Amino acid sequence: MGVIVALTLKEAMRRRAFLGTLIILVALYGLSFLPRAFKEAFGGSERQFEIGVNIAVLFGVDIIKFFSAVLAILLCAGALTAEIERGYLAAILPRPLHRWELYLGKWLGVMLFSAANATLWTAMLWVSVAVQGQPRVEMWRALPYVLLYPVLYGTLALAFSSFLGASIASMFTVAAGAFAYFSDQFLRPIAAFFDVKLLQQIVWLSEWTLPMATLKRLVQQRVDTILPPSMDDAPPWGTEAMLRFLKPEVQTLDIVYVGVYIVAALLIGLLIFWRRDVQ
Amino acid sequence: MWAIETRNLRKVFRPLIGGKPITAVDNLNLQVPPGTVFGFLGPNGAGKTTTIQILIGNVYPTAGEAFILGHRAGALAAKRKLGFLPEKFQFHDFLTAEEFLRMHGRLAKMDGATLQKRIDEVLELVGLTQRRKSKIREFSKGMQQRIGLAQAIIHDPDLVILDEPTSALDPLGRRRVREVVQYLKERGKTVFLNSHLLSEVERSCDVVAIIDRGRVVKQGALDELLVNRSVVSIELKRVEPRVLEAMAQVAQKVQPVDERRVTAEVAQEDDIAELARAIVQAGGALMGLQAHRETLEDLFIQTVEGESK
Repeated sequence: MGVIVALTLKEAMRRRAFLGTLIILVALYGLSFLPRAFKEAFGGSERQFEIGVNIAVLFGVDIIKFFSAVLAILLCAGALTAEIERGYLAAILPRPLHRWELYLGKWLGVMLFSAANATLWTAMLWVSVAVQGQPRVEMWRALPYVLLYPVLYGTLALAFSSFLGASIASMFTVAAGAFAYFSDQFLRPIAAFFDVKLLQQIVWLSEWTLPMATLKRLVQQRVDTILPPSMDDAPPWGTEAMLRFLKPEVQTLDIVYVGVYIVAALLIGLLIFWRRDVQ
Repeated sequence: MWAIETRNLRKVFRPLIGGKPITAVDNLNLQVPPGTVFGFLGPNGAGKTTTIQILIGNVYPTAGEAFILGHRAGALAAKRKLGFLPEKFQFHDFLTAEEFLRMHGRLAKMDGATLQKRIDEVLELVGLTQRRKSKIREFSKGMQQRIGLAQAIIHDPDLVILDEPTSALDPLGRRRVREVVQYLKERGKTVFLNSHLLSEVERSCDVVAIIDRGRVVKQGALDELLVNRSVVSIELKRVEPRVLEAMAQVAQKVQPVDERRVTAEVAQEDDIAELARAIVQAGGALMGLQAHRETLEDLFIQTVEGESK
């Protein structure tokens, strides 16, 4: 399996993913210096500068979450069926290795690459705010949960890739992500404020379909501590049930569900790849 | 024990939505003797590729069984003894020839020292020693085919399945493949060769099987299949009925071509002299006679056309 992991990593490096990594590194570096640039251009207190850095950090963490997930989708969606269709696996599949070794080798290779990228980006963000005298250790605390973004999306894309071509596998994964994002960002407030049961059920369903909102809360729990007091607080009105629906508390079982979801997606994809004809 | 054996092998592809099921392989019974070079022939769509895919474990049969050197096809024990050159492939072209072979050797669970020695051997065998540090993307199509052949035999397998190995090669490249096949045969390996180039198959193979519509329609040693018939082109001053009658007493089949020429098919080479004698005794004026040994192409066309009637 080690050979497949190494091969997947080499493939990832040559697919201009490395260039993408560098571009995002530069973007994060630039982002972290925006508050200082504003301060120097327009003036402002040290407290305003600190808040600016915090916002840049929160935004930077969102960028890392987004791009590490996109990277994992791109690499996983074309990892199986697309490679079979192009003939890359024609000489590898008859080798004495189980299909699960190939599947997990691909998965592990992409996950290692994505994790290395996300860690590198986090390190860049941390260093660039630290050199401005504003180290934010919270982003390291959030990193284990941030790393679950590429794992979640990559695992789903790989499962689709076990029977679909690269573009359709990407499309399905992105569609699942879009449904989860749309439900959490837009439907949730509408469902909460207007108390629409159907919308609340759709939001609930979206969390089961793809636990992105659950994962978002887990990350927020680690990084939102740097937000200024009263920012991101719940509105001071509304019923308790509405507020709970609008901003659910993080439960211990949340991380368990995310883990179970990832393992289930991995096993389903593996089962499909194991049982399918490959030609 | 056969190198390859299939028993009532059957594969039906069922479309997920609508459409009729397609039977690609239909009760295929195949026995490949160990140590032979086996030609696997058939028209397009006969089921050759599907059969090979079942043998290497990529496709699951709908019914029946397939064995590789006594192990069920697709099992790790079978794959360990198997080398495969696919017809359509795309190698990881960012690797050098040596890195590529090392990767395949490691996938075949070879240890480091043996692998390095073997890489040197197979690169020499396929004539790519000088290009060992070149990236595969810099290779011509023929060189890629040769490095493909090298990966198929890197782990010294007992059975090598070559799917259209000469399709992209020039005559020199084809000769190189023949040499590799000969090398494998001398070392007691079994080579299973799927090729449309019948002249290549005829030159390399000991045993052939012709399949059509998923079934074996002819199988046997090439010498046995071809030796018993010769086609003779005869030129007479004039084709006359009594001469044709006399020829028919000796030949299995007599076919006038025009007013002067006739082709006849005799069961064995000794009958050619007998045929000439019969023509002369019947009063025919024999102007010329040329015997052709039946080629594999003749046999293939007769067999496949006979099946389709």
